[in-house]
Amino acid sequence: MNEYLSNGRLWRLCQKELRESLRDRRTLFTLILMPILVYPLLSMALQRLVISSVSKGTTESEYVLGVLDEETADRVRELILEAQHVQAEGFVSPITVIRTTDPKSSEDAKNDSEPSESVDSVQDEIAKFQLVKADQESLASALRDGSVDLFVTKLTIESIKLERGSAFHHEIQAEFRQSDFRSEAAMSGFRRITQILNDYQAERIRGKIDRKLPVAMSFNARGVIQPADLSNSIAGVIPLVLILMTITGAVYPAIDLTAGERERGTMEALIASPAPRFALLLSKYVAVVTVAVLTALANLFATWMTLSFGGLGQALLGKSGFSIWTLFQILPLLVIFATFFSAILLALCSFARSFKEAQAYLIPVMLLSLGPGLVTLMPNVQFTTLLGIVPLLNILMLSRDIMLGQSSLVPAFAAVFSTIIYACATLVVASRLFGAEAATSGSQESWSELFGRPKKRQHLPDIGELAIYLAILFPVFFVASNLGGMFAIKGGWALFFNAVILFLLFMIFPLVYAWYRRLNISTTFRLTFGVGTGEPTFKRAGRCLGYIVGVILLSFGLWMVAFEAYLLFESWSLASQLTEADKEKLKADFLAVPFWVVLMTAAVSPAIAEEFFFRGFVLSAFRSKLSIFRSVLFSSLLFGLFHVIAGSVLSIEKFLPTIILGIAIGFIAIRTGSLWPGILLHALHNGLIFSMSRYTEQDLAKWFGDDTQHIPIAWLCGGGLAMAVGVAVVFLSSQRRRIHEDSI
Amino acid sequence: MISAENLTKQFIVRGVPLVAVNNLSFRVVSGEVYGLLGPNGAGKTTTLRMIMGLLEPDSGYVEIGGVRSTNKSNDIRKQLGLISTNDGVYPWLTVREMLMYFADLYAVEPNAASERLEDLSNLLDIRSFIDQRCSTLSTGQKQRVTLARGLMHDPPVMLLDEPTRGLDVVGSQAIFRFIDLLKQRGKVVLLSTHRLDEAERVCDRFGLLHRGNLQFEGSLEQLRLATGKQHLVDMFIAFMNAPQNQNVPTSPPNELSTEA
Repeated sequence: MNEYLSNGRLWRLCQKELRESLRDRRTLFTLILMPILVYPLLSMALQRLVISSVSKGTTESEYVLGVLDEETADRVRELILEAQHVQAEGFVSPITVIRTTDPKSSEDAKNDSEPSESVDSVQDEIAKFQLVKADQESLASALRDGSVDLFVTKLTIESIKLERGSAFHHEIQAEFRQSDFRSEAAMSGFRRITQILNDYQAERIRGKIDRKLPVAMSFNARGVIQPADLSNSIAGVIPLVLILMTITGAVYPAIDLTAGERERGTMEALIASPAPRFALLLSKYVAVVTVAVLTALANLFATWMTLSFGGLGQALLGKSGFSIWTLFQILPLLVIFATFFSAILLALCSFARSFKEAQAYLIPVMLLSLGPGLVTLMPNVQFTTLLGIVPLLNILMLSRDIMLGQSSLVPAFAAVFSTIIYACATLVVASRLFGAEAATSGSQESWSELFGRPKKRQHLPDIGELAIYLAILFPVFFVASNLGGMFAIKGGWALFFNAVILFLLFMIFPLVYAWYRRLNISTTFRLTFGVGTGEPTFKRAGRCLGYIVGVILLSFGLWMVAFEAYLLFESWSLASQLTEADKEKLKADFLAVPFWVVLMTAAVSPAIAEEFFFRGFVLSAFRSKLSIFRSVLFSSLLFGLFHVIAGSVLSIEKFLPTIILGIAIGFIAIRTGSLWPGILLHALHNGLIFSMSRYTEQDLAKWFGDDTQHIPIAWLCGGGLAMAVGVAVVFLSSQRRRIHEDSI
Repeated sequence: MISAENLTKQFIVRGVPLVAVNNLSFRVVSGEVYGLLGPNGAGKTTTLRMIMGLLEPDSGYVEIGGVRSTNKSNDIRKQLGLISTNDGVYPWLTVREMLMYFADLYAVEPNAASERLEDLSNLLDIRSFIDQRCSTLSTGQKQRVTLARGLMHDPPVMLLDEPTRGLDVVGSQAIFRFIDLLKQRGKVVLLSTHRLDEAERVCDRFGLLHRGNLQFEGSLEQLRLATGKQHLVDMFIAFMNAPQNQNVPTSPPNELSTEA
C-alpha cells in the first residue's frame, strides 16, 4: 500500500483532482463571481439594517434619562429648558448648526414640571428626555438592560467669577451603552444641550448677547460595554455568511469528484485499480478543501473590502472595525471549518449514485447548518466551554467572538481540536463509502465493515477505527472533565471521579471495543511482559529487573523535564490561567487529601488507563499503517493534546513534557513489546510530580540551594545521565528482536 | 492465466435470496480470448467483480497467475486491465494527463509510464490529440483513449465487460482490432458480452452462462457438434428453452480445451 502513499504519487493524484476542479467553469463561477455579486448586495442589506436601527434609535419620541436625586433632576430640567430658550431666541451655535427653531414647543416645555413628563424641545434639534429617578444600582442595571438610555451619575455646580459677572460651572458625568445606537444618540443629544449652553455663554462673555445665563459646563460621558447588543448579532451574521459561502464553494467539487466519477463512467476503472480507496479519497479531499479555502479567501477578502470601505465595519463591530488582524484570525478558522465540512460533503456525495442524488442529500445538510447559524445570531447566547465541542456551532461562535474581540481560550481550543478530530473521522467514513456502490452490492457492506462485528479475528485496530473512536471519545472526555467543576466536586472525590472517567474512557471502552471488533487484545494492548517465553527463568527475571531499573532512572530525568517546562511556561504566562488565590486554594484542597489517595487516583490510575489507550490502542492503530517513528510521534501528540484539557482551564504547560514522556514510553513499548514498563514509568513520573507539589517553595529553595525555584544544573546533569542510563538499561534488557513488532 | 473454481455468489434482494453465480468454474490461458456469454442478468458482471476482488464469493475462489484474488490484494489488481461498457473520460483533463493519472493509480513509475504512453499513442493512434482536453474528443477518439487507459499498466489479463455495447459498426471494429492486438501480445482476454454474433468472430472458446449456471463451455466446433446448430444465437435459444439446470453434456466445464 505504501507505494501509493508515497508523497510524490499522492501529490500527483491530488494534482489530477485539482486540475479537474479548477478547470471547471462551474467551480470558477462560485469561486470568483459569487463574492463579486453577493457582497455588494450584502453590503446594501447591512447598510439598510444599520440605517433602520439608527433611525429607530434616534427618532423615537424621547430618551430615558436616569438621575439619582430630585435636585439633579431639577438641574437637568433647567438645563434643557435653557437650551431650548437659547435656541428659541434664534441663537446659532458656531459648532452645532441648527436648521429650524420651533418657539411653540419651548412654550410647552415651560409648563412641564413632573419628572416623568417630557421636556419638549425644538423639533429634531434638541433631544427629548424622560427623567427617571432611582438609586445607583438599579439605574446602572437599567442602563445595561436598555430601559434607561443615559444615566447621569454626577452633577455638581460651583460658582466661578468671570470678568463680567459670575457663572455657575456645571460638571456633569454620565454613562451610556457603548455600540448601542439609541443610548449613543441620547448621549450625543445631551452633549449637544451642554454644547449649545457653553457656546451661548462664550458669546455672552464676549458681550454679543445681553442676557444673563449663569451656566458653563463640562460634560463627561463614559461608555459602558454591553455584552449582548446589536453588534453581537451582526458579528454573528458575518461568519455565517462566510461559512455558507465556503460551503457553496466546496459543494460543486465535492459532488463532481465523487458522484461525478460515477456519471462520467470513470468510477469503475478507479475502483478496479490497486490504489487504496483512502488515497483516492484523500486526493479528492485535498482538492475540495483547496477550493473551499480559496472560496473562503475570496469571500473573506470581499467581506473585508465591503466592511472597510463601506464604513460599515465600525458601525457594526465597534471602533476597531474589521481589521486585518481580525481577518488573519478568521482565516485559519475558515480553513479548519473547510476541512471539516469538505469531509462531510465528501461522505455524503460518496454515498450518492448520481449528481442529482448528491444534490438531494446536500440540500437538507445545508439547511441544517443554518440552524447553528441562527443560534449564533441570538444576542444572548454565550460561547461557553461545552458549546466548544458542538460541530459547526463551535466555529461559528468562535468566529463571532473573534470579530467582537472577546474570544476565550478553552472553548477555542475545544472548537479547533474537536473540529479536526471530527473531520478525520468523517473522512474515514467517506473513504469507506466511496465507490462502495460500484464495487459491492451496496453501501451496506461498507457500513458493516466499519461498525459491525467482523467475522474474522483482526490483529490490530485500523487508523480509521481510531479516528472514529477519537471523534466519540473527545467530546465525551471534554464534557466529563468539566463535570467535576459543574457539580462542585472537590478534593479527594474530584480525584476519584477523574480516575473513574479515565478508566472508563481510556481502558474499559477501548477493551470492549476491541472485543466487539474481534481485535487481538494481547497484541493491540501489548499485554506481554516483554520477555521471551522460551527463555530460562533467570533470564526472564533479569529482563524484568532491567525494565524496572531502567524506567526508575528514566522517571527521575523526565520529572525534571516536566518541572522545568512548567516554570518556563509560567515565565511566559502561558501556564493555567489561575489566580494566585485560586492556586493557593487548590493546593490547600489538595493537601487535605491523604497522600495515598492522591497517588492511587492521580498517579497509578492514569498510568494504567492512559497507557492502555495511548500506548495500547492508539499506538497499535498507527503501527498498522505507519513507521515506528511516525506512530510514536502521532500517538504522543494525541497524548499531549488530551493533557492540555483540564476541566475549565487549559494546561498548556503540560503539552511539551507530556509529549516527551509519550515519546519515551512509546519507544519503550515498541522496543519491549510490553505495556507494563510504560505503566510503571508513567506512574512514577506522575507520583514524583505530585510528591513535589506537597512541598512549599521554601522547601524547594532549601533543597535546590537557591531561590529561583529552578532545579540546579548539577541536578539536571544527574537527571540527564539517569535518563541516558535508563534508556540504555531498558534497551539492553529487551531482546534484540522486537518481540511485539515481529508478530505483526 | 485466470482460473475460477466453483465460484458461488448469492445476493439477498428484498429479503429473497438470489443466486447470481452458481458453482462456476473455468480457465483462460495466455493468448486466448474467452467469451463469457449470456443474456442480461446471467451473472457475467458478478463473475467479473469476483475476479477483480471487488466482491467476495460466498464459496470458491479465483486465481490469477496462481494468486487468489479474494483477498483483495493489490498485486492481483495490477495484473488486471478492465474495459467496460460505460467507460468514460475526464472532460477537463488532457488525454496525456488522464492516462498518466491511471498509470499512477497502478503505481507505474513516471518514466516507465511515459514510455508506455508513447508506445500506446502509436498503437492506438491517439498521438494527434494527446494534449487535447478529453471534452473536445469525438466518440471514436474517446473510445481509443479508454482502450489505452486499460493498457497503461501493461496487464497480462484483460477483462472486457460488454465493450461494444452502444457502439456503431466502426466502433465495434476498433474493439475487434484491439482484441486481436491483445491476443497477439499474448494476453489473457476475458470478454463478457451478450452479443453472440460478435463473440463468434473473436472468441477462441466460450462459456455460456444462464441464470448463474455455466451451461456449456468449449470451442465453436465443439458447440456445433453438440447442438447441431450453426450459430451461437440458435444454440443459446436452445439452451434457454431447455429445462433448468440440465447441462448439455458436450465438454466438461473444468477441462481446459487445447484445441483453441
